[in-house]
Amino acid sequence: MIKRPPARLLPGLTFEGFGEDHGYFPATSEISEGREATRLDPMDDAVQMDVVVVGGGPAGLTAALVAARSGRQTLVVERGEYCGSKNVGGLLYSTVLRRVMPEFPADAPIERPVSKRRLVFLAETEHIALEFGAVEWSGPPFNHTHVVHRSQFDRWYSRQVEAAGANLLEGMVAEDLIYEPDGGRRRAAGVRLRGGEEFRAPVVILADGANCLVSEAARLALGLRPGRVRQEYAVGVKEILGLPRATIEDRFNLEPGEGMAVDFFGSPFRGLIGGGFLYTAKESLHLGFAARIESLTTAGLSPHEVMTAFRSHPVVRRLIQGAELLEYSAHMIPEGGYDAIGDLHGPGMMIAGDAAGLVNMSLYKEGTNLAMESGALAAETALEALAAGDASAERLAAYRRRLEEGFVMADLRKYRHVPEVLQAAPDLLALYPRKVARLLADLFTVSSRSKAQTQRDAWRAFWRGLPKLRAARDLFRARRLF
Amino acid sequence: MTITPNDDLSLPDKLYRTRYEPDPAHPHVRVDSAKLRSARTRKLLKICPAEVYTKDPNDPQNVQASHENCLECGTCRQAASDEGVEWKHPDGGKGVKYRFG
Ligand SMILES: Cc1cc2nc3c(=O)[nH]c(=O)nc-3n(C[C@H](O)[C@H](O)[C@H](O)COP(=O)(O)OP(=O)(O)OC[C@H]3O[C@@H](n4cnc5c(N)ncnc54)[C@H](O)[C@@H]3O)c2cc1C
Repeated sequence: MIKRPPARLLPGLTFEGFGEDHGYFPATSEISEGREATRLDPMDDAVQMDVVVVGGGPAGLTAALVAARSGRQTLVVERGEYCGSKNVGGLLYSTVLRRVMPEFPADAPIERPVSKRRLVFLAETEHIALEFGAVEWSGPPFNHTHVVHRSQFDRWYSRQVEAAGANLLEGMVAEDLIYEPDGGRRRAAGVRLRGGEEFRAPVVILADGANCLVSEAARLALGLRPGRVRQEYAVGVKEILGLPRATIEDRFNLEPGEGMAVDFFGSPFRGLIGGGFLYTAKESLHLGFAARIESLTTAGLSPHEVMTAFRSHPVVRRLIQGAELLEYSAHMIPEGGYDAIGDLHGPGMMIAGDAAGLVNMSLYKEGTNLAMESGALAAETALEALAAGDASAERLAAYRRRLEEGFVMADLRKYRHVPEVLQAAPDLLALYPRKVARLLADLFTVSSRSKAQTQRDAWRAFWRGLPKLRAARDLFRARRLF
Repeated sequence: MTITPNDDLSLPDKLYRTRYEPDPAHPHVRVDSAKLRSARTRKLLKICPAEVYTKDPNDPQNVQASHENCLECGTCRQAASDEGVEWKHPDGGKGVKYRFG
């Protein structure tokens, strides 16, 4: 069945309306004004592009921005009705975004910059909280950390990318790549949509996110090698909880307009590999958790019951008191790390963002900036390939080299042991925090006993049931999380 | 401590707050019952954040899929590919449509 794209999209492909909203890209408008507009007739068998991007998230949109700015005919295919409508996230790290778009945040739909952070260890009846911040986080560039509603941010970003000259085809599912014979092997030659329309291009950038059916199929079809270990996924579940602006600022001790990011570990997550988060938006909170899928199935826990346990913890309950649920969402996160990353390029194609497994799941939970950086590097590599008239795998290997030389792979290499550390030492996220929380509570319990006695008892309780050798080994391993 | 009005929302209550563009005529999720029968586990029943998969009331060995609740996260594909889950993207513009995300 042929699904026609929403009417707004076809004029976009002829660049009508270009530049009407945003005056961001003067350099590009010069290029595109002098360029023949693409005629898209959906009845045509195939439309020729320079670069086709699958997926309008941070990775795909950044790739399209870079490609379109240099005057290349660029198409982004997005299956959501609009970019962002399928996407879930929390914080946006904007270092890369500011590089490709120095005027950011300008009129971007930022909810709040993050000026304070908090780490909270939850035990059943005790907790430990550590809050930190820095004055400079309250001013530009706001430590490059912003709470966003991804549905709104991605949509805005897609408009900027469109204004830079890229064609957006929203509400269309990319079903598979088109392949061409290439000296006894195959090369990617474009994208086929559900419904059969084809868009051909010398270079395809796959940025279809964590649940990446097109990338999976392409890997098989082109014989790309998988990573050294199997990719592992976490599932993230999130609630958007509406609260008045002033209540949020009072409750989290924030200046007007400023925001907080809280990470939670401990008892609600019952030994799962994962933890919770709370981010303050303007008039809502993002409350959620992410846990390794395999750890959930092994424990026989459902995401909903973990979410319920998390939001019912007295500490969390107090933070969300009076809030009204506005939305419930779920999304996967690839967290196998460096060793789960396989080949990221083949003849005529590259893979970027979550589809490539580029997420840093250490103490720093970063995906958005890695997605944007990989998208930008894939596009730069595509531009070179187009200029050279050679999009062979050998030429596109420059993409991998750029990733390895930059912060993306440097960070992923540094944290390559995180998955195995968490797997091998489940107590790190449950038993030890509980022990420390109890120790603090015991040390500060006021009673008529002498302090010496109180402390002796507290430490005795601390060591009870704590396998010392294993704890020492686990804590030594834990250094790799930082 | 006061109890918040949303403290005891059931999952269906929660899903009710999420927007969808329904496409009842084109289910994008299916469970291959033959494959399911030969699997020893029923991870599908627990792992889905939207509880799309439930026991078939007429046949406890079987699992039915309520595709209209699907949040399109893909967790079932990762957790239970051996249980016969067949999942593809809904048609363009259909399915879950986050307002916040
Ligand atoms: C709960 C949660 C919290 C997170 N918190 C953070 C955080 O605090 N900080 C951080 O940096 N990162 C965070 N992340 C990770 C971050 O969201 C991702 O790393 C980032 O979105 C990856 O961008 P992407 O462009 O690669 O993929 P996505 O953002 O997933 O975009 C992929 C796009 O491709 C589209 N698509 C997929 N298949 C097709 C197809 N066949 N045809 C057409 N279109 C298709 C999708 O609809 C989507 O728009 C979080 C993730 C989750 C789930």
